[in-house]
Amino acid sequence: MSGNLLFDSATWVIWLAPFAGILAAGVTKRQDPRIEGDRVLRHDTAAIVEHWTHGLATAVLLASGIALGVLFVPALVAGGGPVWIAMNIHFFAVVVFLFGTFYYGANSLLAIKRLKEHLPTSDAVEYTKRHYGLLLGFKKFTMPPERKYFESEKMAYLMAAATTIAIIVTGLLKVLAHSIGVPAGMMSIVTPAHDVATVVMFAFILPHIFFAAILPSSWPIFRSMFTGHVSLDYAKHEHAGWLAALAQADDQTDEQTVAPKRVA
Amino acid sequence: MKGNEASDRPDVSGPDKGKTLSRREFMTTVGGVGVGAVLGGMFVNSVLLPDKVFAIPASGGYLLVDTKKCAGCTSCMMACSLTHHGETNMALSRIQITQNPWGKFPDDIEISQCRQCPYPACVAACPTGAMHADEKTGVRTVDEAKCIGCERCVNACPFTPSRALWNFEDKHAQKCDLCENAKYWDQVGGPEGKRACEEVCPMGAIQFTKVLPEQSETGYEKNMRTGTVWDKLGFEGAPQSGGHLG
Repeated sequence: MSGNLLFDSATWVIWLAPFAGILAAGVTKRQDPRIEGDRVLRHDTAAIVEHWTHGLATAVLLASGIALGVLFVPALVAGGGPVWIAMNIHFFAVVVFLFGTFYYGANSLLAIKRLKEHLPTSDAVEYTKRHYGLLLGFKKFTMPPERKYFESEKMAYLMAAATTIAIIVTGLLKVLAHSIGVPAGMMSIVTPAHDVATVVMFAFILPHIFFAAILPSSWPIFRSMFTGHVSLDYAKHEHAGWLAALAQADDQTDEQTVAPKRVA
Repeated sequence: MKGNEASDRPDVSGPDKGKTLSRREFMTTVGGVGVGAVLGGMFVNSVLLPDKVFAIPASGGYLLVDTKKCAGCTSCMMACSLTHHGETNMALSRIQITQNPWGKFPDDIEISQCRQCPYPACVAACPTGAMHADEKTGVRTVDEAKCIGCERCVNACPFTPSRALWNFEDKHAQKCDLCENAKYWDQVGGPEGKRACEEVCPMGAIQFTKVLPEQSETGYEKNMRTGTVWDKLGFEGAPQSGGHLG
């Protein structure tokens, strides 16, 4: 018997997903962060969709990819049915991953300021030292006026972005091999590169989950990945730089318009 | 909401007014055209174009075996592994000798060699073209770099044990290539060269032919005893029962 491999029979869905993500970004109306009384809008609905489509799909891709195991990890599934099940799970996750990632990428290109929010600044080393120094209990450090994202997160973002690009490029080449004859020499580079990127992504996502979801101090921000909001007190304490920028933007807008000062 | 969409709007007050495309419009166009192209391509491919024809050339040669001559020494397996992988590992051999300790001659030994099928189910099942017929020789073989490890070929092979095998060390499918790519052998392999298993078999139980043998349920079984000393020993025909001494 020969099982149905969605990578083979439904390849077109893979190619559809990135364009669907771009199209969705084109018709999405974003909301900027703003102070709303005693809370602050940190993530709009689009950001929440971006994060969870990319994040959950990455988790499923890692689980199914590592279960299949090719070069760097032993395969946890044997031949036939289990392999095809794992590959089909991988397929569904690929579609969601591509949609979410291209949705994010297109949204970032539509508003470069959102991309810049993620890039490290010259404060990166100093702020990271103080941030983790406080976490580890060194009293001599003071909380740095972090912006929307911690400088340490911004450095991790660069690695995550580079790994994501590597995974997408190599992954799409692997998918392309289902449709046309990709040279074997190229595939002999693409497959290990995909595996290496997987290992790097795995090394990234574990600390990310720990620092962004498991560590109690991260729970307010974790909650905001569902609700979109953090409390004003939390923002004052953890992201003073960001809050100051929001307040400044608020003031500038108030001077230019006769609209109500703040959305209650 | 305040000024959220302003950043991606171009200044259209100049002389190009009415001609410029905003970044958002460009992005929406790219996404829309892409979605349309993929869906349209799929429609054309599945509805308007005729079905693809699966046709591959016949193999340039075939291995024939006579299990009644086989002594079960597994020299062929070790030669296969050695010439292809540089080590004598029976699990890496592409030809398999299976023995049934309770079986009676001639059913106590089976040689499972790839038949280089005229319609190779393994090639048809491969999603990436890794399992293919060599362009020059027609030999059904594996391009290891293209193998994605789905093992469809292993399951597609209609014979047991499957002649398409899983290389558990290097994680890819493999099968008999008539020694066309026996990289640890200093001899020329393939249909125009030598086959390691055929060369080492001390019983002469493996032969090579370029003529497509008649397919049967039991494989390309051939009587290789006729005209030899085996005739005198009474092994020309297959004994019906009674073990090696008939």
